[in-house]
Amino acid sequence: MEVALLGNPNTGKTSLFNELTGSYEYVGNWTGVTVDKKVGTLKKQMGQLIDLPGVYALNPISKDEGIASQYLLENRFTSALNIVDASQLSRNLHLTVQLLEFGKPLVIGLNMVDVAKSRGIAIDVNQLSEELNVPVLPIVARTGKGCHDILNYFSLKNQHVSHFTIDYGEKIEKAIENISDLLHEEQLNHRWLALQLLQGNRVVLDHIKINKGIDIERIQRIIQELDKHIEEVEKCSLVRTIYSKRKHIIDDILSKVITREKKSDLTFTDSIDSIVTNKFLGIPIFLGIMYFIFHMTFNWIGTPVSDWLDGFFSGPLSGWIGQGLQVVHATPFIRALVLNGLVAGVGGVIVFVPQMIVLFFFISLIEDSGYMARVALVMDRIMQAAGLNGKSFIPLVIGFGCNIPGIMAARSIEQPKERLITVLITPLMSCSARLAVYSLFAGAFFAKYQALVVLSLYVLGILLALVMAKIFSLFFKHEHSVFVVELPPYRIPNAKTLFRSTWDKSKGFVKKATTFILGGTVVIWLLSYAGPHGLNVDIDHSFLALVCGYIAPLVAPLGFGTWQAATALVSGFLAKEAVVSTMSIVYHAPHSGTLTGVISQAFTPLQAYTFMVFSLLYIPCLSTVPAIYKEVGTRKLTWFTVTYCVVLAYIVSLVIYQGGRLMGF
Amino acid sequence: MILTELKKGEKATILNLSRTTKLVQRRLLDLGVTEGEEVCYKCALPFGGPCMLEVCGQCIGLRRNEAKEIQVVRT
Ligand SMILES: Nc1nc2c(ncn2[C@@H]2O[C@H](COP(=O)(O)OP(=O)(O)OP(=O)(O)O)[C@@H](O)[C@H]2O)c(=O)[nH]1
Ligand SMILES: [Mg+2]
Repeated sequence: MEVALLGNPNTGKTSLFNELTGSYEYVGNWTGVTVDKKVGTLKKQMGQLIDLPGVYALNPISKDEGIASQYLLENRFTSALNIVDASQLSRNLHLTVQLLEFGKPLVIGLNMVDVAKSRGIAIDVNQLSEELNVPVLPIVARTGKGCHDILNYFSLKNQHVSHFTIDYGEKIEKAIENISDLLHEEQLNHRWLALQLLQGNRVVLDHIKINKGIDIERIQRIIQELDKHIEEVEKCSLVRTIYSKRKHIIDDILSKVITREKKSDLTFTDSIDSIVTNKFLGIPIFLGIMYFIFHMTFNWIGTPVSDWLDGFFSGPLSGWIGQGLQVVHATPFIRALVLNGLVAGVGGVIVFVPQMIVLFFFISLIEDSGYMARVALVMDRIMQAAGLNGKSFIPLVIGFGCNIPGIMAARSIEQPKERLITVLITPLMSCSARLAVYSLFAGAFFAKYQALVVLSLYVLGILLALVMAKIFSLFFKHEHSVFVVELPPYRIPNAKTLFRSTWDKSKGFVKKATTFILGGTVVIWLLSYAGPHGLNVDIDHSFLALVCGYIAPLVAPLGFGTWQAATALVSGFLAKEAVVSTMSIVYHAPHSGTLTGVISQAFTPLQAYTFMVFSLLYIPCLSTVPAIYKEVGTRKLTWFTVTYCVVLAYIVSLVIYQGGRLMGF
Repeated sequence: MILTELKKGEKATILNLSRTTKLVQRRLLDLGVTEGEEVCYKCALPFGGPCMLEVCGQCIGLRRNEAKEIQVVRT
């Protein structure tokens, strides 16, 4: 059995998916959180549940909506689970009607009944079920209330195929009939196909075109004729007319189903909005929030814990492991590998986990609260100046956690040109892995102003992204920019969601450290242990020093022309944390104390800042490259993205370093 | 009159949407924003930034130049 979750954006599909499959997928309070098809196994092994991007209608505008429509056309699912937002019934039912017309077994999950109730909207569930002729199950996906009923429903074998038809009026019905006659070779419901074609659904048209036996031209002629006729008679377009017919029926149903007790109140949301989207305060508040987050991450919570961990790793833990290895009579090679390689390298990254947790907690908070859509609104004017729209800012903010989901999030942008440019600039966003680099350097050089220094890097990343966006947009044909954003009501973030979301992201960081970074660390360490003159050479005569010694002069004009820095940057392409783990190895000397101490000897503050800037920009990491390729679609553009990042990093670092020197730093 | 002439917090009924960009029109229709619906003009961001509207029980953000193409009548 395969059940497909379909519904409007931000109605709680993924929340329900997580509840029913026990998995964790990305949940957030804005439209366009899920941008890909996700497969999960229903509890009790009943079958598969497919989570899809939210859609308003079946005729897609953005790329994520296209994925959902495409899935529907593949027609592999056994039944559909339509999630409907009880507080927005009228809009949601437009999709429901189209899904009913599709003619597959359907059940409605009436979600957010808690929100509807608090707004004084009472819904007669039985009546609704009767009117639409499908089962309706009220749920609260966020808390799991009623979700069990859904499982129970699917464990029953006899699933309901609904028969729900709207009479679209004589002329339209005639056209539907004529088109249906031409579709006899098609597997999908003919009436549905005809209606979608009348609505100008491009995905459906492309789907029909594959089938050679169908006379497309005749179909298009029928549509054109009808369109012309409707324009003349009804004085509005065919699409509008179909919409109005549906709306009429929906309004009629709702009048029997809904009773409003009091006026809808959005007062809580209103009062927050009057501050955060205030004319003058909007942008300062956003920056203030970012600053506050960094302050929490660095000065208040993260760093103290990290420092303690660092001390523990380089002190007692190394001691214990050393003693342990002695007890088991490990060879000096193994001892060196474990202590100077693994503990120093992987440990050097793991110590930043506390900072990551704090940062991820706040990112999750922003995601689940509803502030994200407001950020898009507040930033729209600035983004417009850069040739983008406010929605492009959401991928950038997500990119602060990790560039990969950020790049994918661009799918929800309506306009192809703006979507592409957003993908191209997202790698400039300072992801959490880069934060490990900043933590190391800012901690060593700018202890007092850590938060400010790090904020400056984030802002620099955003500014450069905007400048690049402006430059890129000059190479495209001018297209009309589109910006319509739904601003969902604020929700008090759910503790469970927050916890899971933070946990999920932090887990990724730890996992990467213990797999990817671990492997890289071993290689780096081996290269630093072996040299042309055998094993256990002085590190300055190792293969690593030799090879990276050739790269060092390239970055010398930027102020860090040592082989150690060059090595760190090369391995940083694997993953940005590797910059830190590599530094831990190449600067590791017995009794040298913590890495911070060594670093502060090896760099000047100006060099350190330049190094941070360079690390921020110089290249998307290895795992990001395929994600870019997947979105841009061509090798050429992928290479272009990687190359422009390197060039930009070089130029900006050069300006900062040489400029800084001129100013006497 | 046009939408952006409304004062903050004022309500009006939409008369004509057809002059907005096609894609925007489709999105607005997706959100249930059509002729005859009541709209409340909530605020606008500075330097010609977007404006915030309340329609059909939901808040939406829209570019100012698009909003200028929407004709309304005060209720
Ligand atoms: N109050 C309340 N909030 C809910 C309920 N279900 C989901 N939410 C919240 O609604 C927001 C959206 O949830 P998601 O599960 O991400 O919605 P989605 O339908 O997957 O959204 P897209 O992937 O963007 O289409 C989250 O902030 C949830 O916590 C509910 O029943 N009641
Ligand atoms: Mg989702």
